[in-house]
Amino acid sequence: MTAERLLRPLPGLCVLALILGGLEAAVDAGLIRRALLPPPSAIAPVLWDMLASGAVLPPLLATLRLVFAGFFIGSAIGVAAGLAMGWFPPVFRLLEPVVELLRPIPKAALVPALMLFLGIGETMKITSVALAVLFPVLVNTLQGVRGVDRVMLDAARTHGWGRAHTLLHLVLPAALPFILAGMRISLGLALVLAVLAEMLAGQGGLGFLILDMQRSFLVRQMYAWLVILAVLGLALNALFLLVERRALHWQPALRP
Amino acid sequence: MRRPVRFSSGVVLVAGLLALWEVSARLDWMQTPNWPPLSQVLAALARDILSGELPELAGGTLLRMAAGLAAGGTAGVMVGLLFATLPLTARLFGPTVELIRPIPIPAVVPPLVLFLGLDDAMKVTVVALTAFFPVLTNTMQGIAAVEAETLAMGRTFGIGPLRRALRITLPAALPYILAGLRVSLALALVVAVVAEMIAGEQGLGHYLVMMQFAGRAPEIYAAVVALALLGYALNRGFLALERRAIHWWFALGRQAEG
Repeated sequence: MTAERLLRPLPGLCVLALILGGLEAAVDAGLIRRALLPPPSAIAPVLWDMLASGAVLPPLLATLRLVFAGFFIGSAIGVAAGLAMGWFPPVFRLLEPVVELLRPIPKAALVPALMLFLGIGETMKITSVALAVLFPVLVNTLQGVRGVDRVMLDAARTHGWGRAHTLLHLVLPAALPFILAGMRISLGLALVLAVLAEMLAGQGGLGFLILDMQRSFLVRQMYAWLVILAVLGLALNALFLLVERRALHWQPALRP
Repeated sequence: MRRPVRFSSGVVLVAGLLALWEVSARLDWMQTPNWPPLSQVLAALARDILSGELPELAGGTLLRMAAGLAAGGTAGVMVGLLFATLPLTARLFGPTVELIRPIPIPAVVPPLVLFLGLDDAMKVTVVALTAFFPVLTNTMQGIAAVEAETLAMGRTFGIGPLRRALRITLPAALPYILAGLRVSLALALVVAVVAEMIAGEQGLGHYLVMMQFAGRAPEIYAAVVALALLGYALNRGFLALERRAIHWWFALGRQAEG
């Protein structure tokens, strides 16, 4: 079974290798200009140098810090507000209009405004990421709380559970699949906003480097950083899926 | 869905926050010139709309968005149809697609600038790339949800594979495809603006960055408000079209995802 699992993506990986080989041949044959796309064999050593010398670490960690800080702040506010709005009707009535007003604002377009207001440092970048993360998490949490089985709520009341106890031990676990689904969407958004903020603020991080290398015509370096960013995106998503599966192992049927 | 506006606590809170915004800016509580009062933002919005500057910029952005959405959406439907009807193609090309998907979209702008330059071609491609993935995923889901009996019946009646795909599979998958397209629509507007912010001198995105360099906060917030309104209107309009196009789906009491 493990052998089969290992073999399953094999044809797809072969195609990927073929594509890379095809690019290599196309560049060698002069079909694609080297200045636009160096052959993969020329990018690989640059990438290897970055990894071996450790030069990859500072920008990678800078971007990761932004993503994680913004993701956790945004998620925490989103879950807290979503739970409160879903569980306490007065809170819902109080906050719903504000949320509906702020939600359609494209968070990426707020980056220039935040740069004027907060400068070009970490605060601005983390705020941008957190704002983008907040609303999908909030909306999903709200949906999860609303979707809790009425029969279970009645059962909790029959057993004499208080409001707070029910919220913590019934509503939160029952809403968890929705919350995590919202967080998974937000994780992708967090990376997008982090890269964009880095590009616009121009101070470091993977987003800044990709743009800076392109502007300096260091094309091989640009592609190497792009590969690192793509792997980061892939790894973050895989990591989250793993966490999600762990957290939800007890309710496979309820996964949205 | 529509409710009459009541003076609920929420409306009072919104009014209170807007008033606080105005007062805090007028009295300079933030001690920064970059916190303009709401009235100035609205005045800037009205001025830029009436002068024709904002509509012209937004028009360009919307055109690029529409072109990218059309290209990416079409590609998403076609690849989804291919992947779902010939599972071998999904096994062969699926991993390549899955490797491209998690690349954060602003990062594809610099390499595309090399190939396509700073203008329309690059931005339309960026939008198309964004729009492609949600439509692809939903198309495959929709086709997987087509009832086997329906297809078997088509086969019984001697309908060829191509006509089966066009006349049975595609309409049955349409609600899913449209839901994917709606997700793509919301992303497309933002991504068009993002691409404009990073490279070139076109559209609302470039305007936002220019106003930031000029330190003209009211204009920035006015453009953000305009974008939010545009996004809201586009979503509403698409929902209305969706209801028309697949009224039978809603008549069956089902809800498209997304």
